Amino acid sequence: MEWLQEFPAMSRGNLREMRQTIDGGFKEFTRAYGDAIESAFDPIKDFLIFLEHLLINSPWPIILAVLVGIVYLMSRNAKITIGSLVALCVIGYLGMWEDTMRTIAMVTVCTLMAIVLGIPLGILMARSDRVQSFVNPILDLMQTMPSFVYLIPVVMIFGLGKVPGMIAVVIYAIPPMIRLTNLGIRLVDQDVLEAADAFGSNSWQKLTNVQLPLALPTIMAGVNQTIMMALAMVVVAALIGVKGLGQPVLNAIANQYLTMGVMNGLAIVAIAIIFDRATQAYGKRLQKHSEVIHG
Amino acid sequence: MKKLFVSVAATALVGMASSAMAEECGTITMAEMNWASAGAIAHIDKIILENGYGCNVELVTGDTMPTFTSMNEKGEPDMAPELWINAVREPLDKAVAEGSLIIGGEILNEGGVEGFWVPTALAEEHNIYTVKDALARPELFPGAEDDSKGAFFTCPTGWNCRITTGNLYRAFGFDNGKFELVDPGSAAGLDGSLAKANERGDGWLGYYWAPTAILGKYDMTLLDFETPHDKTEWDKCTVVEDCPDPKPNSWVKSEVFTVVTDDFAKKAGPTMDYIKGRTWDNRTAGKVLAWMTENQATNEDGAYYFLENFEDVWGKWVSPEVAEKVKGAL
Repeated sequence: MEWLQEFPAMSRGNLREMRQTIDGGFKEFTRAYGDAIESAFDPIKDFLIFLEHLLINSPWPIILAVLVGIVYLMSRNAKITIGSLVALCVIGYLGMWEDTMRTIAMVTVCTLMAIVLGIPLGILMARSDRVQSFVNPILDLMQTMPSFVYLIPVVMIFGLGKVPGMIAVVIYAIPPMIRLTNLGIRLVDQDVLEAADAFGSNSWQKLTNVQLPLALPTIMAGVNQTIMMALAMVVVAALIGVKGLGQPVLNAIANQYLTMGVMNGLAIVAIAIIFDRATQAYGKRLQKHSEVIHG
Repeated sequence: MKKLFVSVAATALVGMASSAMAEECGTITMAEMNWASAGAIAHIDKIILENGYGCNVELVTGDTMPTFTSMNEKGEPDMAPELWINAVREPLDKAVAEGSLIIGGEILNEGGVEGFWVPTALAEEHNIYTVKDALARPELFPGAEDDSKGAFFTCPTGWNCRITTGNLYRAFGFDNGKFELVDPGSAAGLDGSLAKANERGDGWLGYYWAPTAILGKYDMTLLDFETPHDKTEWDKCTVVEDCPDPKPNSWVKSEVFTVVTDDFAKKAGPTMDYIKGRTWDNRTAGKVLAWMTENQATNEDGAYYFLENFEDVWGKWVSPEVAEKVKGAL
């Protein structure tokens, strides 16, 4: 009855051979195409480094003013603006300014990447059920696959540092962007679309003038989620040498430095709250705006 | 206690060894450190202790600092099979003096070798055999964020060698603006960068240690520091974080021992003799590790490979009766 108790698995030798073959294939691939793929990402890397240097090397009062200014322009809310100012000042006073700037640069570029790639994909998904049924399982995979698993192949191709970190973060953070764009467009009322048809809109006009504006609150929720998930990935990305708030957190974990871990963790939380409140308030304002028009 | 030992020995002679010992040995928690040589030895111990001594061994994942702290403060796990003493010298000496921890056998009898390594092919092509040679050729070592600089891969975040490497990096003058100290973030990151460089035939310069599988797999050359180990300077500055003016120094052979908690040593009985007696050299360890990488074997596979192929080594660790039992279980 032993065959009932134990699942008939592949023999150890065969399993090992299979893993070896796949790994060998991947190594061949990196040897052949690694350099080309690496240089294809150079422009993004340059932009990321530029942004980081800009944030770190500019005088801090200017950066502080610009960041708080952006928060104000997005939220038009005094409470959120003052809260952000205080949070950033505390972060700077506790000596985490530089790491925080690196993290903000990383999260900004990752979020931009996710938006640029995610919105068109979401639109495509909303327009075709076939694309949706194909993309959905891939998004499930991206969200559930432990990120350590794809960090290894990414390092083999890109080495250590910003680009592999960014790829890992975007893989993890892009699904809500795609899903919520898709959902927002699908939720646009059929009657409104019929009305647009009746006025003779072509499908591009329908998309840009009807569907996207009406889906905007949902899309903004997607942007918001993407930012949150990108921030959550910062610590994991530090495992492959991404500088920023993640590295002191890792250091704290390895050495049981309680205060250091909590301080840097809270800095991540503070940035997350600033980003979250600002984007949400912006989303709400957009919604209010459209309600006035339809009024 | 003595009486108990005598009675255990007596029952063993009568031939009821396994059941009596199982009662005596009970459950051992053992740290399976997250590097290959320690992982392999943890599994070898597990197989020998479970089959030869009737223990029940539970492996828990560990790392030098967390495991040592936990053993020191809470007495858990019972045993760290491969602890690199240099990293925890001071607190360990204190714990041994207080009697809370006990040093078992010297598991790696040649000790561990730490230092700065470059790929052998690169060393031969460009004649880079000392740290100074490497310092003069930053252009050979890509991987830095700023392409015009050479990359120097340091120890992962949270490892003690990170402080030492950082100080030596400054002491030898790598902070001259032509190099960049790259933090790999994790052991996987460090290995990944070394593997990537070797697969592509690029240069690589950084901290590593032997015996390790990756150094068994890729041919790397240890750079000569051209300075003897200066103990006073080492303790005063080289291992101190943010030491203001580090001077050139070199690693001394790392002593690598098994460390057990006092509570465990008291109740361990015959297993303690095994723990004190077993030891292997870097060549044997390297062979096992190389086999493991070649075959993508798990630590457990590696342990079986060792027990199947190196009976001349482990046969000396145990009594012939125990050896028979272990062989029977393979």
